[in-house]
Amino acid sequence: MFERFTERARGAVVLAQEEARDLHHHHIDTEHLLLGLLRDRTSVGYEALDRLGVHLDDIRSEVVRVVGGGPSPILDEEDAEALRVIGIDIDEVRRRIEETFGEGALERISFLRRRRRRRKGCAPSASHVPFTPRAKKVLELALREAEALRHDYIGTEHILLGLVREREGLAAGMLAERDVSDTRVRTVVSELLSGN
Amino acid sequence: MTEATKIASQASSSDPRVGLRAVAALRRLVEQLETLQVTNARNLGWSWQEIAQELNVSKQAVHKKHADRRFLPGR
Repeated sequence: MFERFTERARGAVVLAQEEARDLHHHHIDTEHLLLGLLRDRTSVGYEALDRLGVHLDDIRSEVVRVVGGGPSPILDEEDAEALRVIGIDIDEVRRRIEETFGEGALERISFLRRRRRRRKGCAPSASHVPFTPRAKKVLELALREAEALRHDYIGTEHILLGLVREREGLAAGMLAERDVSDTRVRTVVSELLSGN
Repeated sequence: MTEATKIASQASSSDPRVGLRAVAALRRLVEQLETLQVTNARNLGWSWQEIAQELNVSKQAVHKKHADRRFLPGR
């Protein structure tokens, strides 16, 4: 399936997998593919989404709101108890940090740190995250889009077209809510590919 | 209360298992706090030199550890 994918398109799929894992989701679904596109700022898919006003933070917080997820706390109950025994009230520490840096400040940082380590080339955990049928359909549609455009490669722009054409997944829904139709995506993508 | 928490609350500070767990937790907390504070300082325009001075480490050490971090927008 991935033979004709460009390096960036493969990268987007890897980033989608990272997103799924970081959100503690057990499958790669359409929303993770969208997040994967938004993570690589050098890709045509990213550039098109940027022009269409679709941004990473906005999409990620909607995914968290709709599907749930988010990083697990850095300290669990047993840690908190061990700290209490030596006289540290972690809830109070957390309260003060959040007072200054906002809710979930500790977890948000740990989220960034995990991603940073992966980008530096440390092997991500070996566990395999499977695709949902909808995500597979997106990749198939990407292939068809590439063929229809007589492109001999599958790039991030084709994945984006696949995402809007899939129609039923969370990504398609979020894009539709933001007035990102397949017509608009096609227009922006062809502008970008012709260098405008 | 989970079984683990029950065991922990019965344990006294003389129990090495609890003490060591607290040390490990503190270490993680310190790492998190350092990241948070360095990020904040950088966003406020502090130089690596200034940050290193407050952390009592060399400028090279703090730069190596934190330089490729993506800083949080608006914080």
